[in-house]
Amino acid sequence: MIQLYHVHKRYPNGCDALSDVTMRVREGEFVFLTGPSGAGKSTLLHLLLVMERVTDGQILIGGRNIHVLRDASVPYLRRNIGVVFQDFRLIGRRTVFDNVAIALEIMGLTRKEVERRVGQLLDGLRLTHRAGAYPGDLSGGEQQRVAIARALVNEPAILLCDEPTGNLDPDLGHDIMNLLLDVNRRGTTVVVATHDAGLIERYGLRTLVLARGTLVEDRPRSGRLAPIERGPAAAVGPDPLATSTAATSAGAAAFADIAEEAP
Amino acid sequence: MKRGPRIGYVLRQSAQLVRGSPWLTAVSAVTIALALTLVGLFAMVLFNANHVLHDLGQSLSLSVYVKDTATQQDIATIETRLKQRHGVKALKTLTREQDRERNRKLLDKDLLEGLDESAIPGQPVIEVEIDADLASRGDVEELVTWTRAIQGVTSVEDVEFGAEKLRLLFAIVEIARTIGFVLSVVLLASAMFFVFSTIRLGVFSRRDEIEILSLVGATPGFVRVPFLVEGALQGLAGALVAMVLLGLLHLELRSLVRDVYMLNATWSLLPPSMVLWLLIGGPAVGLAASAMSVGRYLKV
Ligand SMILES: Nc1ncnc2c1ncn2[C@@H]1O[C@H](COP(=O)(O)OP(=O)(O)OP(=O)(O)O)[C@@H](O)[C@H]1O
Ligand SMILES: [Mg+2]
Repeated sequence: MIQLYHVHKRYPNGCDALSDVTMRVREGEFVFLTGPSGAGKSTLLHLLLVMERVTDGQILIGGRNIHVLRDASVPYLRRNIGVVFQDFRLIGRRTVFDNVAIALEIMGLTRKEVERRVGQLLDGLRLTHRAGAYPGDLSGGEQQRVAIARALVNEPAILLCDEPTGNLDPDLGHDIMNLLLDVNRRGTTVVVATHDAGLIERYGLRTLVLARGTLVEDRPRSGRLAPIERGPAAAVGPDPLATSTAATSAGAAAFADIAEEAP
Repeated sequence: MKRGPRIGYVLRQSAQLVRGSPWLTAVSAVTIALALTLVGLFAMVLFNANHVLHDLGQSLSLSVYVKDTATQQDIATIETRLKQRHGVKALKTLTREQDRERNRKLLDKDLLEGLDESAIPGQPVIEVEIDADLASRGDVEELVTWTRAIQGVTSVEDVEFGAEKLRLLFAIVEIARTIGFVLSVVLLASAMFFVFSTIRLGVFSRRDEIEILSLVGATPGFVRVPFLVEGALQGLAGALVAMVLLGLLHLELRSLVRDVYMLNATWSLLPPSMVLWLLIGGPAVGLAASAMSVGRYLKV
């Protein structure tokens, strides 16, 4: 699903954020991306989103070489990749509902359809009572769930999360993790960037370790997957995606009709 | 699935933009309204001035005074010469006695009492009625040249023609047109500047939002459209205000023309096509200004 070949990223200021990174994430996999601060985790996610372009090397997503993607095609790539940013990036002047609705409105869905799907997802994430609130009035955990809702509402093939449990109390962190695992079980490829060693330890999932821009370790899934339990004060309801219409996302096929640059 | 944004979404976002800077939006709309009103007013005045000139041209008359010494033959030559011009509708030749008779009627009864018959002026004269198509100043100049030529004909004593008045009228219309054009351009430019600034402010205050939209997969068009619509709506609001102002001015002018100048004008003072022009022009001006602003400041 995601393939990197000898990827090198040098920022205009001369900083080499990534050098010679080769890795592969298969469709339906759940992968942790870890490493100390400044290791290049966010940079890697930004490259996948074409927020930045690689300096050297190739990146394939769903079999498409995003290096040769036309600017005009970038939006269509992004629609298939849900992202939860480290700082959430919610729109302050729009309500929770509208923040989540954006992901569907950009695709030109009818208002009715948007209301139905956003309503269901907010319901599942126990955010319905906050639908009319503005992000500034929400707690950190609530904001995080709104960001996740926006990333998931159009059922993307890939979900990228940058520090999804950062700044959250451990219970809330586990709720979020359970939600992400749920999403993954429905077929979505999930990449979680985190430097929370405890979290990685606990779930024993495949982990890619970056250090100063190079891939230093590819730790396979340990098999001893921690039982998925719900925190006592579960903020996230049982199976929030159960009401979602499409059970599984389109997978790699979703990227098939994104136009590449004409040679 | 290459679909644009839904109209509902665009209108909600544009309304949000208006709420974001209501005063600047209002100023933009009012400036557009003033600019359009001025353009409309000048259009109205010029349109009607052209009507007046056209009407004037249709009923022009000039008097060609013939010398006392002229023979019947000479008069016939002048008549032929006059008839050669296109648009000459009718010729009426008066003898000295007929002209005197005509003048007597024009003079005051009391004044005529003790007056000698020969004291009343009278001269052989050819009255010419012309239907000239006066579309421009050149047409008047051509007419003037023609009358001068007649003046040069032997046995023509003098040609009486209100050309100077016509020339003055045309000059006034031409000055009005130039001033109107310059003022309209200046006002329209400033109206566009206000719309441009309003949209720029909207773009700047929504930088984060614009970036986020693009990150979740919005096309540049999707991000831009609400700003463009906002500009067009400012233009539309301006056009509607301009229409009301012009309607009032129109009524005012009509009563002025009727009551003060006692002219019962048959032509329309506010051509219906102008309403259409305003409805297209307002939004077009707003759209053009916001497109410039978006093109310059909204990078996605
Ligand atoms: N836009 C940028 N311009 C220049 N240098 C940058 C830019 N973004 C990141 N860097 C540099 O690239 C390196 C990797 O940064 P990155 O944000 O990818 O690290 P990270 O692993 O996400 O760290 P953290 O855990 O703190 O989020 C750092 O040295 C950083 O200073
Ligand atoms: Mg980071």
